[in-house]
Amino acid sequence: MTFAAMLEHMRSAFPSVSMENCRPTSPHDEDYNCIAWAADDSSRWWWPDANGQLYWPQSVPRRETLDAFIAAYAQLGYVDVSNDHVEPDRQKIAIFTLNGTPTHAARQLPDGWWASKLGPSIDIEHEFRALDGPTYGTATVVLARATIR
Amino acid sequence: MVMTRSNAIARAVVPMSLLLSGSGVGASTQSVELNRRLGDLSDYYALPASGLRDDQRTRFAELVTQWRRETQWLSSTTAVAMHPAYQSIIGMGTAALPFILENLRDESGHWFWALKAISNADPVPPADRGSVKKMKAGWLRWGRAKGLIGP
Repeated sequence: MTFAAMLEHMRSAFPSVSMENCRPTSPHDEDYNCIAWAADDSSRWWWPDANGQLYWPQSVPRRETLDAFIAAYAQLGYVDVSNDHVEPDRQKIAIFTLNGTPTHAARQLPDGWWASKLGPSIDIEHEFRALDGPTYGTATVVLARATIR
Repeated sequence: MVMTRSNAIARAVVPMSLLLSGSGVGASTQSVELNRRLGDLSDYYALPASGLRDDQRTRFAELVTQWRRETQWLSSTTAVAMHPAYQSIIGMGTAALPFILENLRDESGHWFWALKAISNADPVPPADRGSVKKMKAGWLRWGRAKGLIGP
């Protein structure tokens, strides 16, 4: 499937995506999800599922709340900064929510675009608002930590 | 009316009151009913078991297609597991286990919730939580040990 065809396929879930605000970076991979990818982990699927079957930092409550997601990333040194500007010495993560429930996370790149893993599907890089819509809602919190080199 | 295994069972169930009521004299209403139901029971046993399994496999495949299509962008395994098609698969009960394990083996996917919900087992050690390849291997090992899936 070409990326143009993939974009067409994605539009029902992400109405704003286009060739101009989004580019693919890796193929379908079910080994990790967006929450892991934002934390630079491509080996596990992170989610605070009630069954306790998936990875979630041990000391963080297994709850699907924004607070729990912020606490999970706080384990890695991230704090709430609520601005999405590029700052050379800071790494940033945006948490998306839909009706108050976390749905997605993205990691900021040095050029100001964001790296996202779309569920079990592909990785993309995109502009900040490109994924806003009925599937992920919108980015509601931006976290940052000092860049680890 | 097409005779399926489930409606054959429903029609063929013979209440004890009917079995005990046969006097062998004449053709009472009850004995006519008893004969009819025993006839239905024969219909039931005449159905090939593979037919039922094929119906379930077809239903499973339809549900999987819908589930994958409508959850393909989601990270939330809760949302993925709460999808109506996934819940319908869980509702198929133990009959779905071989299909789920085959699908997990051949196409992967987040079947872990359904497997645990149906089997009440969890063969994945805590250290492997979230490691999808290891979780998949653990469940396939479990399925093979139970004889639910081939090698």
